[in-house]
Amino acid sequence: MIATVVESMRHAVIDVVQAIIPLVIFFLIFQAAYLRYPNKYVLRLLTGMALTAVGLVLFLAGVFIGFLPAGQEIGRFFGSFEDKWMLIALGVLLGFLATYAEPAVRILCYQVEKASTGYIKSQLMLYTLSIGVAVLVGVGMARISYGIPLAYIIIPGYILAILLLFVTDRDFIGISFDAGGVATGPMAVTFLMSVAVGAAAMIEGRDPLIDGFGLIALIALAPIIFVMSLGVIIRLKRGGE
Amino acid sequence: MIVLLIQILLLGSPLESVATFVVSAMMVALGFSLFLMGVKLGMLPIGETIGGELPKRGSILFIVVVTFAISFLVTVAEPDVRVLTSVISNVSSDSISRSALLFAVAFGVGIFMILSMLRIVFGVPIKYLYAASYLLVIILAFFTPAEYFSISFDAGGVTTGPMTVPVILALGIGVSTVMAGRSPLADGFGLIGFASIGPILGVMLLGVLLN
Repeated sequence: MIATVVESMRHAVIDVVQAIIPLVIFFLIFQAAYLRYPNKYVLRLLTGMALTAVGLVLFLAGVFIGFLPAGQEIGRFFGSFEDKWMLIALGVLLGFLATYAEPAVRILCYQVEKASTGYIKSQLMLYTLSIGVAVLVGVGMARISYGIPLAYIIIPGYILAILLLFVTDRDFIGISFDAGGVATGPMAVTFLMSVAVGAAAMIEGRDPLIDGFGLIALIALAPIIFVMSLGVIIRLKRGGE
Repeated sequence: MIVLLIQILLLGSPLESVATFVVSAMMVALGFSLFLMGVKLGMLPIGETIGGELPKRGSILFIVVVTFAISFLVTVAEPDVRVLTSVISNVSSDSISRSALLFAVAFGVGIFMILSMLRIVFGVPIKYLYAASYLLVIILAFFTPAEYFSISFDAGGVTTGPMTVPVILALGIGVSTVMAGRSPLADGFGLIGFASIGPILGVMLLGVLLN
């Protein structure tokens, strides 16, 4: 086990160095040419970047030795069942939990409650988001099970989102797009994606490359549609009073 | 926790692989909190100061070049982007090259960030840009080879990660506060949603060009 950890750490270090070094060089050139901050401040910024790099190494190494293989194993296991609904049920459960447990989602919900001076309750937001993601992950798994092309789901989804833009309460537009970004957190991306890829690899006639991917796109779409729909409902209620 | 239960009860995984998972989960949690701290301390102030510096030069070219460079570099360093691209090149057994994907995604974000900045500078309403680029996505979708279709939409989702979002927001807020008569809140919001269209188009174009 220690050998795997060390090996993946080595890969992650190379990966992160490639990712961060250009950014550091760019900043240093910019600093020398335009900003000219005092050295002490620059040192603080560079410390921050070093922390980012160390954190990234640990994160990536952990994802590659743990999350990805575990997710694919679970996906392959559930994908091998005759009963398709097992995979769909798993998707709904994992989609709900991943959103419900995501700290960034909770922070957003509290911010929304505060910004709306309590009008939009954070619990309501949290459940709306979790259920929204659960439904679309379920749809995503059903898509893999039955081999429905992503285009048939994603294009109507986008059209629905554009239509909702025009009928929803104005305050909800910004929130919904922000929530779309928050829901595709690292947990959802790494874990749910590998479950989907694993399942697509097991089911006959599915190409993991075509059918396994697309889940992140659906997860990003979920809050946009559900939060704007919440906005429509609240607007109607308000109008009715 | 749920993952552990599934592993132990359903898969009957050996103890060693369960232990590896526990260790990796701790690494992910620790790594991610360090990463976030680092972003707050380093990347966020850098984004803000560079964003504030941009309009002061009074040169559109300067804004365009710097915006492109920083959004390209930040996207390349985004954790979600790195995980997604490496999984894709694994699953496709390297028929889709990782560096080409990274380039397409980062290039897409860079171009769309330039458009966003120009939009703030010239005050173009965001709905026209959204409508035009969604239309482009739908048109390109007809020409995109199947194996690039799903991953292009996924690439759009991963760019809104913990590294890109704060820096892009900081850049946008920096520019719109210096420009008189622009609301930082409304303009800042447009940036994120818009930046995630870039990679969709970038990866689709990559697929079209390679086929």
